[in-house]
Amino acid sequence: MYDKFLWIFLAFTGYVRSESYSEELFIKPLATGYVYSFFQFTIVREDNAFRHSSLFPHSLGDIINRFHVDELNVDLTSGLWRHKSWGYPAVDAPSGAEISARFHNDTIDVNKNWYGLTNALSGLLCTSLNFINSANSYESSADRVYRYSNLPRENVCTENLTPWKKLLPCDSTRGLSSLLNSGHVHNANYHSLGIHFRPLCNAGKCKYELRQTVSLVYDSTFISLNNNYDWSLRKMFGTGLFKTCPLADFSKLYIDTSSNSSVPYLLSQEPDYFLKDNIAVYNLISIFHLSAVVPRPKIAVSELRPLLYTDRFITGFGQEYGGLVTRIYNEHRLPVTAKVIENIPWFLPIYYHTLIVSSNGVRVNPKALIYKPGKGRIRIYYLEIVLELAPRSVTEISVQFDYVFLKWQEYPPDANHGFYIGSAIVEVTIPRHATSLTFDKSFIADNLNSSEADYLICLKTENFIITLPTPDFSMPYNVICLACTVVALAFGPIHNITTKRLKLTTAKYVPGLASILQKLYMWVENIALSKKINKVGNSAAVKVYAPEELSYHPTLGHVSEEFMNNQVYISYTKKWPLLKH
Amino acid sequence: MGLLTDPSVGHGALTSIFVRHHNRFCILMYIASVVLFCMLAHDSFSSQTYFSENALLPGLVKGQLNDNTGSSFKDHYRELKAEAQYFETETPHSYLISKFKNLRLETYSHNFTLNYPLKKNTKYTGRNVYGILRAPRSASIESIVLSIPYRAPSSVFPNTLPGLAVMFQIAQFFRQQMYWAKDIIFLVTEHEQLGMQAWLEAYHGTCCGSPGVLDSGKLSGRAGAIQAAINLEIHSEKIDHIDIKLSGLNGQLPNLDLVNLAHRLCNKESVRHTFNNVDGGAIGRNKVNTYYTNLSTMLSMVMTQATGVPDGNHGLFHRFGIEAITLEGYEKKGRGIYVSVLQVGRVIEGMFRSLNNLLERFHQSFFFYLLPSTDRYVSIGLYMPCLVLLVGALFLKAFSTWIQHSSEHKLGDSLSKQATISEHLNVGVVSLITLGTHVLGLILLPNFAPAYFTYFWDHISTHRALLMGYGLLSFIIVCIMPILMKKCLNSFKVSNWVLLHVICLLELGIGLLCVSMHNFSLGYLTALVYVLPAIFTSSSQNKIGVKFLWLLVHPMCSLIWITAIITYMAYPELQIVDYLTKVIEASGQWMALSTVDNLVYGNWAFSISVLLLLPVWTSFWCLMFLPTNLPQKYKTE
Repeated sequence: MYDKFLWIFLAFTGYVRSESYSEELFIKPLATGYVYSFFQFTIVREDNAFRHSSLFPHSLGDIINRFHVDELNVDLTSGLWRHKSWGYPAVDAPSGAEISARFHNDTIDVNKNWYGLTNALSGLLCTSLNFINSANSYESSADRVYRYSNLPRENVCTENLTPWKKLLPCDSTRGLSSLLNSGHVHNANYHSLGIHFRPLCNAGKCKYELRQTVSLVYDSTFISLNNNYDWSLRKMFGTGLFKTCPLADFSKLYIDTSSNSSVPYLLSQEPDYFLKDNIAVYNLISIFHLSAVVPRPKIAVSELRPLLYTDRFITGFGQEYGGLVTRIYNEHRLPVTAKVIENIPWFLPIYYHTLIVSSNGVRVNPKALIYKPGKGRIRIYYLEIVLELAPRSVTEISVQFDYVFLKWQEYPPDANHGFYIGSAIVEVTIPRHATSLTFDKSFIADNLNSSEADYLICLKTENFIITLPTPDFSMPYNVICLACTVVALAFGPIHNITTKRLKLTTAKYVPGLASILQKLYMWVENIALSKKINKVGNSAAVKVYAPEELSYHPTLGHVSEEFMNNQVYISYTKKWPLLKH
Repeated sequence: MGLLTDPSVGHGALTSIFVRHHNRFCILMYIASVVLFCMLAHDSFSSQTYFSENALLPGLVKGQLNDNTGSSFKDHYRELKAEAQYFETETPHSYLISKFKNLRLETYSHNFTLNYPLKKNTKYTGRNVYGILRAPRSASIESIVLSIPYRAPSSVFPNTLPGLAVMFQIAQFFRQQMYWAKDIIFLVTEHEQLGMQAWLEAYHGTCCGSPGVLDSGKLSGRAGAIQAAINLEIHSEKIDHIDIKLSGLNGQLPNLDLVNLAHRLCNKESVRHTFNNVDGGAIGRNKVNTYYTNLSTMLSMVMTQATGVPDGNHGLFHRFGIEAITLEGYEKKGRGIYVSVLQVGRVIEGMFRSLNNLLERFHQSFFFYLLPSTDRYVSIGLYMPCLVLLVGALFLKAFSTWIQHSSEHKLGDSLSKQATISEHLNVGVVSLITLGTHVLGLILLPNFAPAYFTYFWDHISTHRALLMGYGLLSFIIVCIMPILMKKCLNSFKVSNWVLLHVICLLELGIGLLCVSMHNFSLGYLTALVYVLPAIFTSSSQNKIGVKFLWLLVHPMCSLIWITAIITYMAYPELQIVDYLTKVIEASGQWMALSTVDNLVYGNWAFSISVLLLLPVWTSFWCLMFLPTNLPQKYKTE
C-alpha cells in the first residue's frame, strides 16, 4: 500500500522536477543609516504551456498562457529609490505601478492582449492596472509586441501584498516570505513588490523563469532603538525565521559587508562562507535569527554618488509656460551611451521645436531621436533619445509644454492635488565591474560569479505633480442649490396662477373651538379698548380698517367690496391685537 | 460704445441731472469712498476668520517637541553662537552643511551671483544651504519649506540665530517621526531676500527679473511641488510676541487659511501673537478703542501692501503659487512673562503637521483680503466698492464731459453745418499726444533709462544719479510742454479738447482698476491722490489753481512729498536743512531701490508709475495748455 503511494509520489515529483524553486534574501546596509533588503523567490520551469504545475502559480500561468505573454514585469512601488545616496537597486521601479510585457511574435492583435492582460492582472493583484489604456501606454519603437505603462498615482498597500504572497509556493506560512508582515513592510521607507517572468534561452532551448521580488529600505532611525545604525531581522520584519520552505531547493541569506572597511560592524552569527570576500552567506536550514551592531560614524557619511544618476523636474510657475527638464549625471571617466525614454501624457502637450539637449551647457546632437506626437485623450507623447554622455558631465534634456484645459469629468477626485506625471526611463549599459552588485541572473549567487562584461541598468526618474487649470468644483454645487431654491420658490405661485382660476365666493365661516375662544378674547379686548379709547377720546385707530381703503387686496388686486368685507372681517380679527401695540 | 455715440443718450431727466451736477456727484462719491473705507475696519463690515480647508485639522494633535531627546535648544544655540562669532561677516557654510548632515538630512548648497544692474562689472555672490527631510514612503512629489535668513553678527538687521537653533531642534525632532507625507526642506538663505529669490528661481528654473541680472545657479536636490513655506525670524531666546507677516511681492497675500492656522496655533500654545505688532481680540478695549485699533492696523497693512515690497522672505514665494508667511519673534525686554522658543517650536510643529495633512494645495478661503485684526478679515467684495466709487467718479466725469460736448456739438452743428467730427475732436493731435506720452513712459522704464543715467553720471552715487536723471527729465517735460502746446499747436484751436480729456480720464480709471485687481492697496492709495485733481480738470480753460494742484501730483512730486511726510514722522526733531537733504536723499534711494527691485525681483511698482501715471499725468498737463478759443455761441452772444 505504502509502496504504491511512494511510487505515485515519486512519479509525481519526477514530473515536477521540471520546476525548481529557491528563496534568497539579500541585505545591504546603505550609506547614511539605511538598510536595503531584497527578497527573491525564483521558480524556473522548462515549458511555458502551464497545463500542469506544482510550484508555478496557476493563476498567473493561466494569464500568461491565455494572453500569449512572452515576458512580463509588474512592479508596485511606494516611495522613491534614491540613486544618489543608495546606489542601484536590484530592480529599478518608479513610484506607483509599472507594467511592461512582451507578447509572442505571432500575436495578431497585441493591443487586445495587452488590455486583457492588464485587466486580468488588476484582478489578480488588486491594483488599478485596469486603468491602463491607449492614453497611458506605449509600444516600443523597435518592438511591435512590446507594451509599457505606468500609473504614478497608484497607492501600494496591504491589499497588493496579500495576493502577491499567495502566488508563492509556500504562501507566507513558511520560508522567507514569513518575514513579510504587512505592518512592517509598509513601515519601510521604500517598498516595491515585483513579478518578473521571462524566457531564458540558450542555443534554442528555453527555460522560463519567474522571479517574485520585494525590495525594502528601512531607516535605522526607526528600527534601531539607540542612536546607532543597528539592525536585525526582528527589528526589520517583526519576527525571526522559524521554518524554511521545504519546497525550496535552497534558502540563502546574503549580507553585503563591503562597508565593513569604513564602518566596522558586528554580525551575531558567523556566516557559513563568504562569496567574493565581502558577501557573507548563510544557508538557512532551520530556525534562524540575525542581528548586526553597526556604530554610527563620527563624521556624517557623504553621498555615495553612483556612476550615473538622474534628476527630473518641471520649470516655470503659474499656468502659462512650463518646461520639463531631465538631467543625467555621468560620473564615469568614460563616455557612456544612454537611451532616454520620455512618455508624457496627452494633457501635457510638448513642443518638439523647444527640445534642447545640452551637455555641460553646450548644445549637442543626439545620436538618434524618435518622436511620436501625442493625441488628445488617445495617445501619449513619446520621445526616445539616444545620447552619448560625455565623461564626467551633466546632460540636460529640456522641452516646453502647455497647460491645457480639461473637460470637467476628466479631473480626478481631489482635483487640486495635481496631476501625476510618471517617470522617464534611462537605459544605460555600464561595465559590470563599475557597480558592486548586479542582479540580472536567476539567482543572486550567479550574479556574483558572472563573467559577462556589460550590465544594463534601467534608471527610473522621480514622478512629479503639476497643477492644471482647475475649476472651482464647489461652484456648480452652489449654483444648483441656488437655482433649486429659486425654482422651488417660484414653482408654487406659478403653478397656482397657471392651473387655478380665481373665483369670488363668500367665505363660509365655520366656527371651531379655537376661533370661538379667539373671538371671545377679541370681544373682551374690544370692549376694554373701546373703553380706553373713549377715555382718551381718540377714535382714529379704528379708521384704519375702513372698507374703501382696503378694497385693494395685496395679492389679488382689486376685488369686489363684498369679497373684501369678508376678508376684512378675517384680517380684522387676526390683526387687531397686533396693531394695537 | 453705443452709450457714448448714441445721440438719444443724454436727454433723460436723470442723465441731465448727472451731467449738470457731475462735479458734485464726483466729490460726493470721493467722500463716500473714503468714509466707506474707514468703515471697513468696523466689526459690522469685517467678519470673524474661519477655516475653509477642513483637511488642515489645526491643533488636533498635541505638540510633542521637547528638550528631552537629543541635543537641546541650548546646546544648538550655544554651538551656533560660537560659530557665528567666529565668522564676523560671513555665513558659516561648512558648519551648516555638517550640522544638517549630522541631523541626517539630504544636504545641498546653492551658489548664486548678482550682476548689479546699475553699475557695470559689479558682482555679488552668495551661497544658500538647505537640507531635505525625505518623507518615508512618499515619492518626493510635494514638500513644505522652513526657511531662515542667516544674518551674520555684523548685519544691520536683528539676528536670527535663535530661530536657526529652533530650526535645528525641529529638524532633529521631525527626523524621528514616521508620519510625514511631504518632504520638508530646511533652508538657510544668505543676503536676505536676494538669497531667497535666487533659491526660488533656481528651484523653478526660471528668471523673474531682468534676464542676466540675477544668475540663480543650479540646484541638485529638489523635492517636488512646494505646497507652503514658513519663514522664521526669531531674535531672542525670550520672546515677547510673534508677529505674523503676510505682505508679499507686488502686494500678493498668502491664503487666509494659512494665516489663520498660524494665529490659531499660537493661541493654542499660548504664544502672544500679533498682526502688524497689534494684538488681536477686543479684551480690555471699549468699542471706540477697538475701532481705532482696527482702523490703524488695517491702514498699516494697506501701507505695507501698497509698497509692493515684501516685508519678509515669505513674500517671494507667493509668485510661485506657494503660500507663505513669516513668523517674527520679537525680543522680550525687561522682566515679566515671556514666550519660550520651545513654545514657538511647537507652534511650528503644529503648523507643519497641519500642512502635512493637506490633500490638495491651498485653493479654498481668501487670497484677497484686508486684516483689521488678527481674527477678523474684510473680504474683497467689501473693499472693492471703495475703489469702484473712486474710479466711478472718473467714469462719471468722462461720461458727463462727453454728453455735454455732444449736446453742444449738436447745437454748433445747427449753426455751422460744415464742421465735421474729426475736425472738431482733432483726432490727429490727440493721438499724437497720447502716443508720445506713452513712448516717453516706455523709454523711462527701469530696463532702459536708469542704466544710462548711472553711466552718464558715473562719478556720483547711483541714487543721486537716478534722482537727477528722472528729476531733470520731468522738469524739462513740465516746462517744455506748455510752450510746445501754445506755440506749435496754435492752428489747431478748438473750443475744447474733449476727446483727450475723456481718454485721459478713462485711461486713469481703467489703469487704477487693473492695478487694484492685483494690489488693492496700491490702486486705492494712488486713486486717492489722483482722482480728486483729475475731477477738477476740464476740457478747456483750466484755472491756474487746478494746474498748480496737478503739478503737485506729478509722480516725482508725489514721491518727494510722500517721502517728506514719512521722514517727518520718523525724525520730527531734524533741522529744516537737514530735513530737506534727508528727504531728497531718501527719495533718491527709494528710486534706486525700486529700480533694483524691478530688475531683480520683478516688482512692478516703478513700472506702474512710469507706464501709467506718468503718461496720464503728462497727457493731462498737455490738455491744460492746449490752445482753445471760446465757443462760437458765446461769441455771438
